[in-house]
Amino acid sequence: MMHQTIKGSGVAAVKDPYLCLEGINKKYGLIEVISNLNLEVRKGELIALLGPSGCGKTTTLRMIAGLITPTAGRIAVGGRDVTRIAPHGRDMGLVFQSYALFPHMTVARNVAFGLEMRGLSRAEIGAKVTRALGMVQLEHLAGRKPRELSGGQQQRVALARALVIEPSILLLDEPLSNLDAKLRDEMRTQIRDIQQQLGITTVFVTHDQVEALSMCDRIVVMKGGLIEQVGTPHEIYEHPATPFVASFVGRTNRIKGVRNADGSIGIGSSLIRSASSVKPGDVMVMVRPHRIRIDWSGTERQGETANRIAASLSRITFVGDVIQYHFDVDGSEFIVEESTIKSQAGHHPGKQAVLSWAVEDTFVFGADQ
Amino acid sequence: MEDNPTSWFMRVTVGLLFLFLLAPVLLVFPISFSGDRVLAFPPSSWSLRWYEALLGNSVMMRAFLTSLGLAAVVTVLSLIIAIPASYAIVRLKVRGSEFLFNLFTAPLLLPTIVLGLAILMIFASAGLLATFTGLVIGHLVITLPYALRVLSVSLGNLSLACEEAASSLGAKPLIVFRKVTLPMMAPGIVAATALCFLVSFDEVVITLFLTGPRMTTLPVELFHHVESQADPLVASVSVLLILMTIAVVMIVDRTMGLTKAFVK
Repeated sequence: MMHQTIKGSGVAAVKDPYLCLEGINKKYGLIEVISNLNLEVRKGELIALLGPSGCGKTTTLRMIAGLITPTAGRIAVGGRDVTRIAPHGRDMGLVFQSYALFPHMTVARNVAFGLEMRGLSRAEIGAKVTRALGMVQLEHLAGRKPRELSGGQQQRVALARALVIEPSILLLDEPLSNLDAKLRDEMRTQIRDIQQQLGITTVFVTHDQVEALSMCDRIVVMKGGLIEQVGTPHEIYEHPATPFVASFVGRTNRIKGVRNADGSIGIGSSLIRSASSVKPGDVMVMVRPHRIRIDWSGTERQGETANRIAASLSRITFVGDVIQYHFDVDGSEFIVEESTIKSQAGHHPGKQAVLSWAVEDTFVFGADQ
Repeated sequence: MEDNPTSWFMRVTVGLLFLFLLAPVLLVFPISFSGDRVLAFPPSSWSLRWYEALLGNSVMMRAFLTSLGLAAVVTVLSLIIAIPASYAIVRLKVRGSEFLFNLFTAPLLLPTIVLGLAILMIFASAGLLATFTGLVIGHLVITLPYALRVLSVSLGNLSLACEEAASSLGAKPLIVFRKVTLPMMAPGIVAATALCFLVSFDEVVITLFLTGPRMTTLPVELFHHVESQADPLVASVSVLLILMTIAVVMIVDRTMGLTKAFVK
């Protein structure tokens, strides 16, 4: 009855883990939304759960918070098993995408709520609330009701409310996705600063790869209830473990190829090399658009470690900061990005060029992955 | 764009509709100040004699106080039953909560006269006819569906996130309910209160079966009065009923705003 399929979930073990998820499984009826998830988080670490909607990242967060009970598996914080403990006994600070401020209470009362539940004295509560609101620069709005605040202010109140109880873990569920782009950038820095300052273990759910890459110590990339890869932003970006990670984090060209017995990879009539080891047969080749160099004259000398391929320009897209060149290589499309400069030479579709990129920038995956 | 033909046409249509709906009600006011002995419009003379008659009519006045007390008791009981019931149905989603909801709201679908007869038969054997307890139970059958419906919608529209936030901050379920859920349901509770009060205060059909000479309500007494006499006393009683209704609606409007309480 308790049969468990061990799928490709990566085991992410660390030294002295603070938060441990072991063999977590969640089923709704017959539908398995989380399959055998194992994850360990160090104390003071900011870890992102990154993935598209429906990947199970929010479900995982809600299981850590105790709002959802896992079907199987164990959750431990600082060595204490909390799997069966109700949310109010878990001591976790939760920030929702919708902020979920209590509309009938003032900002100060909202922040004080968790402290009142802990039975602190009035004086202590007052002092802590003032300090927490100071941390998010909102002391002057303590008497306002949530509906009188802007989205960014509400979001900061929600953060103060979660932090004031000095929780063992801070859980952030897409906290920035309701903010406009400029405010999002500011809040990103602010959340990271506060997290570092307090040294609080934080789990951050997001579908935005930029947030995950720029704020977090480590990233857990999830898809379909499984962990695809766990690693530092650098590892995730430079050494994607799966084609999904390669294309979800950062942008990438996806080109069909064939791996030959001698290790070379054929794209159309050209041959390239890669450091990745895959079985001979159909493969998917991925190269990031900005890692490709364009040699318009076709005469530049390249090092031994470069792949070179002849291509013809099919389309140009000007995006402001960058310019995108679309090249055709025997029916496959390569997109190459260059930073724009004012005196950019005009190129026209049909023009021939040689594309080159480093062998280590070439990700190759089996076609079945 | 005030003068375009559509808006002019609309305004006249809306005006006529309002007149159609309200004219009979408005007519009651002048008639209540009639000096005539019989119900007629327009009255041939004006006086306050029918208000004096009303104040002097002990049966009517007792019926009015009964109605008032009955509506108050029924409203309080409806809320006491419907608030936990709606929570159980909407939030806890216990097994069979759909069935419970349908059971609670079924009386709205039955012909009231049938319901009245059924209650009459049961109450007759239980000795509850023409008693205050009997009236309260009878009215609860009618007010509970309204209360439950309004409160379930109000609770269903609340985002769970606030309650989850409260529990993550350390509040036990009962405290979450008292400090977060209940205050956030306030507009729904005010609407349910007003609705229950008005439904009970105006209820005639079922009450007809349950009242007797010992215990009667204002609408039923009014009904009996019209059957036997055709004097303008009924108009002054009607004015009393209308003013009560307006008072309740005004209280709702002042505390919440009408649209907030009834529309959302």
